[in-house]
Amino acid sequence: MGKNRSHLHLGRRTALGLVGAGLAAPFIRPSLAQQAWPEQTSIPDILKGSGEVRIAGYGGSMQEAQTKAYYESFEKLSGIKVRPFPDANGPKVKAMVETGNVEWDVAQLSRGSIMNLQKTGDYFEKIDYSIVDDGVGQEYRFEYGLEMLLWAQVLAYRTDAFKGAVPSGWADFWDTKKFPGDRAMFGTGGGGWPEMEMALMAAGVPADKLYPLDVDKALASYNKIKKDVVKWWETGAVPIQLLTDREVTMTTVWNGRMAALQAAGVPAAISWNQGLLKRDAWGIPKGAKNKVNAMKFVAFSTMAIPQARVALAIPYGSVNTKSDEYIPAARQEVLPSAPAIKKQLVTYNYDWWIDNREAVIPKFNKWLLS
Amino acid sequence: MSEIVQPSPIAVPLGAVRPLLLNWRRHVPLLLVAPLLIYMLVLYALPVLAMLLRSLNDPNWTLSHYAALFEDVVFAKTFWITFNTSITVTLGCLILGYPVALGLVRAKTMAPLILVIILLPFWTSVLVRSYAWMVLLGRHGLVNEGLIALGMIDRPIRILNTTLATQIAMIHILLPYMILPIANALRQIDPSLIRAASGLGATPFMTFRQVILPLSMSGVAAGTLLTFVLALGFYITPAMVGGPRDITLSMLIAQQVDQLNWAYAATLSAVLLATALAILAAARHLPGVGNAFKTSMR
Repeated sequence: MGKNRSHLHLGRRTALGLVGAGLAAPFIRPSLAQQAWPEQTSIPDILKGSGEVRIAGYGGSMQEAQTKAYYESFEKLSGIKVRPFPDANGPKVKAMVETGNVEWDVAQLSRGSIMNLQKTGDYFEKIDYSIVDDGVGQEYRFEYGLEMLLWAQVLAYRTDAFKGAVPSGWADFWDTKKFPGDRAMFGTGGGGWPEMEMALMAAGVPADKLYPLDVDKALASYNKIKKDVVKWWETGAVPIQLLTDREVTMTTVWNGRMAALQAAGVPAAISWNQGLLKRDAWGIPKGAKNKVNAMKFVAFSTMAIPQARVALAIPYGSVNTKSDEYIPAARQEVLPSAPAIKKQLVTYNYDWWIDNREAVIPKFNKWLLS
Repeated sequence: MSEIVQPSPIAVPLGAVRPLLLNWRRHVPLLLVAPLLIYMLVLYALPVLAMLLRSLNDPNWTLSHYAALFEDVVFAKTFWITFNTSITVTLGCLILGYPVALGLVRAKTMAPLILVIILLPFWTSVLVRSYAWMVLLGRHGLVNEGLIALGMIDRPIRILNTTLATQIAMIHILLPYMILPIANALRQIDPSLIRAASGLGATPFMTFRQVILPLSMSGVAAGTLLTFVLALGFYITPAMVGGPRDITLSMLIAQQVDQLNWAYAATLSAVLLATALAILAAARHLPGVGNAFKTSMR
């Protein structure tokens, strides 16, 4: 899940992001020059220390944003050196912990990938909530991780495809008469799970009655659009490419990718309505050498100002309610955490998926191949 | 004179240790490959084995993961898709590759240039090539625009994101593996045989049919095997340019690793590896193919 959202990663996925590389640069918006950003000037003594902390993220423009947002200021204020690594993912944490060779102190994952692993063994340290900022919402806290970045999986469309008609919600996505053209949807790449929520909302299930998901009903709904879905994408660069090349008129996307597309002048837009609100989370692998430093970093990066700085660097939202005062109104228009947008989104239920993915994925695979 | 009679000073000790030395010499090849062998064993074979073991001992010793495959529709379908794609791609490579190999061997001054053209894609990553195919085969890509300009179609047709696109891109990637062994076999053919054939009144086609083709079969076998076995493991290309249902075994394995179902992923990997090994083993016993291994090593 979170894993694939990197704008550049190593291996197969790196290069899938390569096309996005040129597109990724405009993420750092020049209009929001760094001097205009809020600056963290001091931290509680309890967050200070020495030595280093090894942080696995996604590399690329996400790492660039994080460096500006909180790696640099954490180093300066805490005295703890930050060593970033690209290509964070759950399977790697599993391998590291099982072989006793833990190379990361913190990893950017999701509640899904953390709890998925934790269910099968002891792979993560418990978070020390005594040092975490009060502004961090309760809904983002869990025993083995702390959510630290809000993003959305949303509908995106070519604005030149429907003679001015504006799609809104999954019923429109499913309506290929009113909104003609091919579609692309997320499949099961990078440990992610298929967009059954979208299928159910297209079939008329209200957003607040989605969970527990009715899988058979979702597949029946998927049936209606199956022949129009030309690609079940696995990594974020693909839907952006498909929109740019006019291979599809509508697709699901990770919201952060769209800013670059629009900056490149492609006539495409996000429709936030009924999108899924997802979160990335910090997890501390069991047995991490610098786990105390890791806790301090986790606490620092979720403070109001570091969170606001991330949202200024890349269009993803803050988990700290006090961040909003540092984010200009114009910027709020593209952030999934902005109140006007957030209320249109559906909070993704990682817990349901963790409990059910083992039964659902084979069912989805079988349906896809039938 | 004395020099001849007198045994050289070092000859004596040499003679004494000769049996030992001979023995040592016999093991030179082994010693030469030992560093690589150890390297491969520790860093490749052992980790692979450890991974494959998960198909047997996760969570405890059991054959149930293999037994479950017999009822696994998803496995059956992906296996069939993988096999089918590999056969189609191998045939495509053979049909397109044989004439190129023939041309490569016949060409004299142009041969280096042709070789470079064949090998050029080797130095480009599979990913970059897949993106190139996306640009070419897209609805507004070069192929569609060309067909429209020629008046062959009125509207763009879908080529990208279909099985056909997977096959086209895979053939492009695998062609060198077919061409080089065939060219190698063709180069081994004694030119006097061809002169003899025409001297005995054979037409060029008869010479090809009765002399060149049979003598190049070892290369065809080597190329076919190599291409087929490599095609079994493809995963980036079908994922990127393929159709919505083009799920290969490798793609399923990657998905299951990411989903943390490592025992299932290991079981699938073991089946894929066993399939490739079985094909190689079976092919060795086919007439003419045994030589293929030797030929391709020359």
